[in-house]
Amino acid sequence: MMKTLKTTLTAIAATLSLTMAAGSALAAYPEKPIKVIVPYGAGGDSDLTTRIWADAVEDELGVPVVVINKPGGGGIVGTAFVANSRKDGYTLINAGLGNMLVSPNFSKTPYQFDSFTPVVKMTSVPLAVVVAKDSPYKTFDDFIAGAKSQKVTLGTWGASSSGAILAGIIADQAGYQPKYVHANSGSTSMVSVVGGHIDSAVSFPPIFGPHVKADRARVLVMNKELDAYKNTPTFADYGIKGSFEGWSGIFAPKGVPLEVVEKLTAATDKVMKDPKVIKKFQNMGATIDYRFGEDWVADMEVTYGVMQAAAAKK
Amino acid sequence: MLENILNGFSAIFAIGPILGIIAGVIVGITFGAIPGISAIMAIAIILPLTFYVDPIIGITMLLAVYKSGIYGGSISAILINTPGAAASFLTAKDGHALTKAGKSGKALDISLFSSVSGEMLATLVLILVAAPISAISLQAGPIEKVFVLLFAFTVIATMAGGSISRGLLSCTLGMMFAMVGLSTITGASRFTFGVTELMSGFTFTPMLIGVLVMPEVLNVIRRRKQTQGSMTITRSSNPADNRISLKEFKAVIGTILKSSGIGTFIGALPGLGSSTAAFMAYGEARRVSKKPDEYGKGSVEGIAAAESANNAVCGSSLIPMLTLSIPGDDVAALLMGAFLIHGLTPGPMIFFEHTETIYAIFAGFLITDLFLLAIAKSGFRFFVKLASLSRYYIFPCVTIFAFTGAFTAGQNMNDILILICFTVLGYGMRLVGLNPAIFIIGFILTPYLEQNLDQAIAIVGTDYHLFFASPFAWVFILLSVFFVSSNIWMKRRRQQPQSPSSLQEAKT
Repeated sequence: MMKTLKTTLTAIAATLSLTMAAGSALAAYPEKPIKVIVPYGAGGDSDLTTRIWADAVEDELGVPVVVINKPGGGGIVGTAFVANSRKDGYTLINAGLGNMLVSPNFSKTPYQFDSFTPVVKMTSVPLAVVVAKDSPYKTFDDFIAGAKSQKVTLGTWGASSSGAILAGIIADQAGYQPKYVHANSGSTSMVSVVGGHIDSAVSFPPIFGPHVKADRARVLVMNKELDAYKNTPTFADYGIKGSFEGWSGIFAPKGVPLEVVEKLTAATDKVMKDPKVIKKFQNMGATIDYRFGEDWVADMEVTYGVMQAAAAKK
Repeated sequence: MLENILNGFSAIFAIGPILGIIAGVIVGITFGAIPGISAIMAIAIILPLTFYVDPIIGITMLLAVYKSGIYGGSISAILINTPGAAASFLTAKDGHALTKAGKSGKALDISLFSSVSGEMLATLVLILVAAPISAISLQAGPIEKVFVLLFAFTVIATMAGGSISRGLLSCTLGMMFAMVGLSTITGASRFTFGVTELMSGFTFTPMLIGVLVMPEVLNVIRRRKQTQGSMTITRSSNPADNRISLKEFKAVIGTILKSSGIGTFIGALPGLGSSTAAFMAYGEARRVSKKPDEYGKGSVEGIAAAESANNAVCGSSLIPMLTLSIPGDDVAALLMGAFLIHGLTPGPMIFFEHTETIYAIFAGFLITDLFLLAIAKSGFRFFVKLASLSRYYIFPCVTIFAFTGAFTAGQNMNDILILICFTVLGYGMRLVGLNPAIFIIGFILTPYLEQNLDQAIAIVGTDYHLFFASPFAWVFILLSVFFVSSNIWMKRRRQQPQSPSSLQEAKT
């Protein structure tokens, strides 16, 4: 009796789930709210970028796009959560240099770069080395010379953060050994530079921008020349090779239907041309660097290789 | 300056900004009062809505949510002993003790008055002297902050009751739990035993609710047979018990002023947190109090100190954010994001580039306090009525709120597990006479201390004398020494009977 009941129930359950699976495959994506996980706390660059995007694509997709912060473990916890979630396109992750390219190489992560399907890249920010206004280092050459001969403190946002890893790659190529002062966030590090507690820091424009504008900090070198920082030398000028930029994008768990990626890309394509959206990104100091497709993924794989090589050296 | 402020007021007295403030205050109080939903979540939810309105309306609304959200936490803390956020757990201790004595109205009144006074004073400081204060806050680097935090730890001396050793043990336990997870500074994973979920450490909200709130519920269940009478909280029929008389308010005004000062100062130093301010103010108020034994058992002074200090942080944490573009805590970081998206880049230039907008926002920030006072006060009758239901109705609700609150913060099932584990731990701590409140202090302050200590050590290197090179640091070294020794001295002088009081304090 029990056994037949069990079989019947299993059969019913199986049929139900089959119909449901078929139903969801047939229905057009998206038909229910989409969750985007930001693996960091509310208020940071990644969080704000994702919120602007979510708010904009909501109208295009016709369903709510909800941003959820799952901070902790330097972004690993939230990212691992999405890697293990359902591949239906209703759970997405805010991807960036840190959680996708750095952490899998330099920390123990339960996911890899290829645990995800890249969807779009939204913005990028060039890394820079900044010093306080009254610093003795006027140029990056001064800085290199100084760092070779004496103790120079360099701020980052955590020993296994993207900032520290990039700063290490730069230092290796330029041949100096700074004394790292790892803070818990990029802005804490900037405070220490401006307050004269440390000599220099690696940072991104949204963080150092206001301090440079207020004439309390100077940029010695950055990854790419921006309109706002004309005549600032780039790393390439000093013979340092590599791409030193932070970026923010949207990834889905690997194996999502192609339709999901296409829908999301099409929606993003529209909003990224909206002057209102562009204005919002500009206001927060980010540069729109909208990309998708194979070229972009190939570029990321190159950077991933650089990280892998750097990790192997350690 | 004065002209700018007056212009600001005329800009804010328009239908849009006023409606924004009213909506913000209502949303803030409601979200703040629900355990587990904090001001920061409320702001994050409202933020996209403000994209569509003028910055004056949008930003003042967010700031209204911020202020009233921080205040709202004290309502549920007082009435049903569920501190929704770290800063209101001191209020829960004294406020709920008053509620149990039938004096919920008094507790609500004093928390509202001191919150509003603290906020207003800090806001005035923000408007009038933001620039010089921000210059001081730059002086505080990692080394200096280590000593400020060590000073905050001395509050344990005042809260430990009779047994200092039990207090220290509780604190150390809290510090140990705070170290679980990936260190934000070094990236090392500690005590995670290979479990990915532990890499983010123990989430604060579920843990706070587990240690402080749920054991109360268990206690009520355990005692249900013995204390039939106390299953409903009867409100004292004497009206004097349910309001704050002018005389009582005058008696605590000194405490409010001093605590607001402490809150304003700590808020202006980025990265110390509003609970640090509340701990310091509470400790200081108890140290100079004529009735220190009342603290933790329903002290009006205690509520006034904790609430005015933690609300003063609201206003003053905007000082480093606006003048130096340094967000002091997570809420300030989120607000800074809101300013940026609205095209107002924080920094000293903001006062020149957006003079009209910024002073209108200041004016809005100031009058938010009046709306908060009026709206919260008119809601009291309703809140109190809810809380005076029989406990057979309230505690199941508290349990549901506790679990949903633990879940909503991160939408994570592990948080429910954390809640359950820490409920057991919190209940056990009460049984063996450890102090859950001090445990929480250890847990809250440790990450701040650790982050600053890590940086300080990296800066100092092998030149240890640098630790003691700054006058700023010495001020706090001396304050800590003075504070601890004066506490010990007063304890001796009072010659209070040791064991019975400490046991009782640990149990409450």
